[in-house]
Amino acid sequence: MSATLELGKRSLREALRQPDALFMTMFIPIFFLVVNTGQAAKIFPSESTGFLEGQGYGAFQLPITLLLAASFGMAALFLVEEIEGGYFDKLRAIPIPRYSIVLGRLVAEGAKGIVLSSVIVLLALPFGISIASGVPGFVLLVALSALWGVVYAGFMQLIALKTRSAAATNSGGLIFFPLLFLTPNFVPRDLLTEPMEVAATLNPVTYLMEALRSMILTDLDWDKILPGFGVVAIFGAVMLVLNVRMIRSYD
Amino acid sequence: MNSSRGPAVLAQGLVKHYEGRDGSVEAVRGVDLEIRAGEIFGFLGPNGAGKSTTVRMLTTLLTITDGRAEVVGIDVAGNPDDARKRIGVALQEAGLDPRQTGRELLILHGRLFGLGPDEARDRAQQLLELVELEDAADRPIKGYSGGMQRRLDLAAALVHEPQVLFLDEPTTGLDPASRLTIWEELRRINAQGTTVFLTTQYLEEADQLCDRLAIIDGGLIVREGTPGALKADLRDRRGGAAEPTLDDVFLDATGRTRDRAAGEVQEVTAA
Repeated sequence: MSATLELGKRSLREALRQPDALFMTMFIPIFFLVVNTGQAAKIFPSESTGFLEGQGYGAFQLPITLLLAASFGMAALFLVEEIEGGYFDKLRAIPIPRYSIVLGRLVAEGAKGIVLSSVIVLLALPFGISIASGVPGFVLLVALSALWGVVYAGFMQLIALKTRSAAATNSGGLIFFPLLFLTPNFVPRDLLTEPMEVAATLNPVTYLMEALRSMILTDLDWDKILPGFGVVAIFGAVMLVLNVRMIRSYD
Repeated sequence: MNSSRGPAVLAQGLVKHYEGRDGSVEAVRGVDLEIRAGEIFGFLGPNGAGKSTTVRMLTTLLTITDGRAEVVGIDVAGNPDDARKRIGVALQEAGLDPRQTGRELLILHGRLFGLGPDEARDRAQQLLELVELEDAADRPIKGYSGGMQRRLDLAAALVHEPQVLFLDEPTTGLDPASRLTIWEELRRINAQGTTVFLTTQYLEEADQLCDRLAIIDGGLIVREGTPGALKADLRDRRGGAAEPTLDDVFLDATGRTRDRAAGEVQEVTAA
């Protein structure tokens, strides 16, 4: 475990020394929040739109912002750079558990995710967005966003280890965008057209989004929250097993 | 398991096949090596001969298709972590993390090899002094020159005081002054008891540094011995009075001649 933490600290230092990458991770999701809210807020006024639970449309859109921010991690690209530069082999030649090499970066992604999600939520508060579930909800909201960031970074690392190519890793990351939009991202699931509702129901990102949204708009609703954490747990376990298998058989 | 007696490195019938789109490629076809503790062993060969593949198998970075390899008596494939504790590795092109400083990198490696925080800091300082990088220690590695990166790479390979140091073309691309600095450091490290396994394309380097050497071509060892013995053998076979150089030994061993090489170049240019 100490090797994982040491490598995690190194990855955090690495991220802090690339502030431009951190800025983009924040900027793009907030840009989407502003644009989506600006375009649709008049259609869904808070006074007459029941699903907003008395809040503005920005509160409904905040989960997408959090999920986007969690999915802009640079861990996999740094890993490809390390594979191409030879430092990855240097780490493989050290007697540490193989899983430490992949987990180190994921630990750092988790820590970064906590900070970024907290900052985004805190930035949203002055614009009338509130967390209806209070402090416990805020903690869970940040935790779920950060955990999703870890799962997604793990998925991207898998592509990086398999392809050893920055271009392929970048392209692989684009798979998230269709998944993000096959969700109830603009309106609740029961207001979607039937084909979209079926697609959203089959899409695991939907349950993450609904869990995050429930914590923003209502008091703690475990029927919504637990499926979100379940998605993270299942995909996290699968991602971890695949990452460890991949690095063990890496030649 | 014997980690003090016997050869520092032993390879028996080492084979590596890669599966490609066009079928299987035999990169190494049965390499036997025995390197004694405390020697500097040179591993020479043309590009693509199997040098790096052999080193990567010996250092646990590549799986072994067939045969076996031991480092200080430890089976590399069977106990890779035990083998890793006893070897230091500096591969082609200094593999370093460009966003860390030299000191951070050495401390990290110390911690990963199990040193405590203070011990890792002290060891990093010792190594920075050894490779004369104290002044640049707290600068990001991406600003280091090629020679400085190679010296830091060497220091990183020495953090845990390995018994065997594997260096894959440690001076390729360096200017003559940096090359001489690396040679001096290798002699100093070897004088402290570390066995050095060195691949190089520079025959002068092998002649200057190595106690014994092997030449690999087409995935097989084609010559092995001390530089002096290999030259004497060629002189005896040729029957001439002139002392052959290691270049002559290399060309003879790999079936290449200067004329043939020049002819090949002309042919490519004409096409």
